[in-house]
Amino acid sequence: MKIRKRKHDQEVNTGSMADIAFLLLIFFLVATTLLQEKGLDLQLPRKKDDTSTSSPIKERNLFKVMVNSRQEILIEGEYRKNLVGLNDEIKAFVLNNGEQEHLSENPKKATISLKTSRGTKYASFIQVLDELKGAYFEIYAENIGLTKEEYLKLKQSDPHQYQLYLKSKEGIPMNISIAEPTI
Amino acid sequence: MAHFRKKAFRKTQISTSSLPDIVFLLLFFFMVSATIKPKEELLAYKVPNAENLVKPEMKFLIKELVIGFPKSQKLGVTPRISDGKRYMEIKDIAQWATAAKAELPENYKDQMIVLLKADLDVDMGLIADIQEQLREVDVRKVLYRTSESTTDPIQ
Repeated sequence: MKIRKRKHDQEVNTGSMADIAFLLLIFFLVATTLLQEKGLDLQLPRKKDDTSTSSPIKERNLFKVMVNSRQEILIEGEYRKNLVGLNDEIKAFVLNNGEQEHLSENPKKATISLKTSRGTKYASFIQVLDELKGAYFEIYAENIGLTKEEYLKLKQSDPHQYQLYLKSKEGIPMNISIAEPTI
Repeated sequence: MAHFRKKAFRKTQISTSSLPDIVFLLLFFFMVSATIKPKEELLAYKVPNAENLVKPEMKFLIKELVIGFPKSQKLGVTPRISDGKRYMEIKDIAQWATAAKAELPENYKDQMIVLLKADLDVDMGLIADIQEQLREVDVRKVLYRTSESTTDPIQ
């Protein structure tokens, strides 16, 4: 009798296996839907006829990036083979604060204009937009002493992190303007 | 007598050992079906890669548009627009956006985000036409769907 009882005790309890599997199931359900919504966000300009809020921008406050239908890049009137260095140029342009004559007066007025042609490939446009956003995110991250990767992971739903997020952006709006494409 | 009693007691127990198997079966079903679903869409598209991605906080604000190439060759090789259920023309976009906006709660109507899932080979002309239509109905937040790249995108 005694030996039999011991045998019974040695059985592994599999009752919790179902719970573990359920946990995995829920994780995969959530994780697969979350992945779908990441991307590059952008604010479009107002309607064409609505000119009430727009005023002409000074040449020095405008940083022009153009991509033509042959995927060639023109930055501030200068032909470029690739986007190397664009990141640092934008940071210098935005954070100039009136120091150099040809760069922006202050971060609030600094505007980056991204102009494409109708034949520009979407991939080229995204590539440039990604660089522009990256430069701004690096500025924001530096403001609060984080790396860009840490900054992008800030959760706005957490009040403390949201405060940091607001603080990082203070006085530096992300003025990326998408111009009408040329034919 | 004692022997008889024990046998009867054991027989009345329901075995729960197969429950994990059932749940695992469900798990695998959902894992497989979650990856299959995007392939059933009307259009084929491959989103470009980007590094600096953001994730919107409120998912219910997102309305989706797909710009890609038709799967069936009968429909040609020019890029088409779809809202996931049907094909759309440029002129339908404004109406679609207005309808989608109407579904949102009153205080969030101006915050609707249009998620553009566009193929990397689509011309910017088409994207610009869509954005033009969205601007007309004052839907001004767009999100370009991109996949995450770990490598430097500079060519």
